[in-house]
Amino acid sequence: MASREKELSALAQTSDPPRGLLAQLAGRLIYPFLHGKPPEPRPATGFYTDTTVCIGCKACEVACKQWNQLPSDGFNWSGNSYDNTTELSATSWRHVKFIEQFSDGSLGALDPLAAVPQESILNRWLMMSDHCKHCLAAPCHQACPTGAIIHNEFQNVYIQADICNGCSCCVASCPFGVITRSSMGGHSHKCTLCYDRQRDGLEPACAKACPTQSIHFGPVDELREMARKRVEELHRRGVPQAYLYGDTSSQTYSELHSFYLLVDRPSVYGLPDSPFNPWLHMMGDYTRSIAGGLAAIAALLLVVFLMRS
Amino acid sequence: MPGSSTPSHPSTKTPSPATASDIGYANMPVTKVPGWYGMIAWDALLNGMATGLFLAAAVSELVAPAVFTPVAKVAYPAALVLLLVDLGLLVLDLGDPLRFHHMLRVFKPHSPMSVGTWCLTIFSLPLTAAAGLSVLAELGFDFEWVRLLAVLAGLLPGFGSAAYKGVLLSTNAQPGWKDARWLGGYLTNSALLMGSAELLVLSALMGHTQAAVILRVAFSVLLVLNLIPLGLLFANLQPAHARLYTREQQWRVGALIFAAGTLIPLGLTLLNGGLLFLFGALIFLLFGSWLVRFVYVKIPHTSPLEIRSGE
Repeated sequence: MASREKELSALAQTSDPPRGLLAQLAGRLIYPFLHGKPPEPRPATGFYTDTTVCIGCKACEVACKQWNQLPSDGFNWSGNSYDNTTELSATSWRHVKFIEQFSDGSLGALDPLAAVPQESILNRWLMMSDHCKHCLAAPCHQACPTGAIIHNEFQNVYIQADICNGCSCCVASCPFGVITRSSMGGHSHKCTLCYDRQRDGLEPACAKACPTQSIHFGPVDELREMARKRVEELHRRGVPQAYLYGDTSSQTYSELHSFYLLVDRPSVYGLPDSPFNPWLHMMGDYTRSIAGGLAAIAALLLVVFLMRS
Repeated sequence: MPGSSTPSHPSTKTPSPATASDIGYANMPVTKVPGWYGMIAWDALLNGMATGLFLAAAVSELVAPAVFTPVAKVAYPAALVLLLVDLGLLVLDLGDPLRFHHMLRVFKPHSPMSVGTWCLTIFSLPLTAAAGLSVLAELGFDFEWVRLLAVLAGLLPGFGSAAYKGVLLSTNAQPGWKDARWLGGYLTNSALLMGSAELLVLSALMGHTQAAVILRVAFSVLLVLNLIPLGLLFANLQPAHARLYTREQQWRVGALIFAAGTLIPLGLTLLNGGLLFLFGALIFLLFGSWLVRFVYVKIPHTSPLEIRSGE
């Protein structure tokens, strides 16, 4: 018997699975209503991704797939640089992006840390490991009608796969296009920020695997401090375009617990320039919805009242 | 990871670059399209038909019981049938339909889907009671005050069931949808409009002349009134439509919606109060209403390049 099997057999069984059709049906009906006791809150954790040191090795993608036992996506040439993962999906929770910025016919040397770049003479690669942003006020969390999406004790946005029923509200509401509904199980999936590893005191697999320390993991406050120092350092070293994306809240979006150091516009990296939380419109939309209905009822009432006799 | 081994939902197209200029990410859509297709357009239509019929019947019956009670007693069972079909579509549209009841494990006021689920669930109870008691009354078992109590109890959740749908489809990050501030106003108003039309046809079918005369006027007024939220909704969606369709395509669809959804039903209703004309008006109205919903649901699924090239 393998050591892993020994470990599993040693674990205490909390309950036997239901037997018989009726018992299974009852279990299926009752199970989602059994709410467990939430764990004690812990310091908020997250990622800080420094894109200036990313080398596009995709070790984070591989580590994520390996640890979370995510299946292969097949292989297709995308034609988009070295990016053949193409997007975050139900089975790709990490996605390394490649941006080639080379001016046609330019003889300029490759200089990733150039001073203020002019579009015409820019010659550089940008690479970025993308993933769930673990928003503080996450639209997916707000949209989820089953309570499957929660903020866990580490303040990470976590999908409880045994509760999700695949309504896709989270998919529609994510402004970063992170969450995807799997066509196999019909449930939504995304980065868990290696919740299981965190509970055991380990860092997420992607951060562990990153050979250049582009992906930093830790308490969010410490990460912000570290990121700001790095931006200052880059400014001193002649990269004035370096800035942090998502480290603080804006008027239309909360801060991200997974934020980035970028050196070009967010849209260049496939991120929204000004993310907007759709819930800012909700009360107004409800008001207009109710007003539209009340206007119709008032008109109907008036006609019926005037013509009833 | 449990239960998933395919790369992504079929709705999400691999964002491969079409041309050399598309290399990179700046021109690619950031958001992912949810798997909400034509079934959602039918769901939005049936939701409006069911809740609108109940609300129109309830309001009319409560104001003028002598005129509308016989028609309302047929309208409630009809609304229940429509609602059951709608609920069936809602369940089938889930990624895991056997988990539909998971929606009822929590109530989240900031989730329009949660609000809608609870409204529909609560609404189904008085509606079932009103429908059942209406059928029983026809069989000679009359519990009139209980039936009226059920009708009263159904008003608020019925209205909520009509009102949530537009908010659900506009409170999200999808291109086009996120700008549709008047979708809710249009859908709720449209529900009452469709409900009045259905009640009108039922009245004509049952030979209740006075009810039909009143509802003809009400239906005509509501048809005109509905143009306001519809116009506002189109104004909201204009930038998105301009990106997706040519000006000619926009005019063609707009004219079709206006003709089928307003002009023809209004003309038929004013022209003749006969059953055939009123039924025709209802069919055209439903087609126009479905078309609005279909065009709306299609927005995030539509690729500008495909549409503009006429594919």
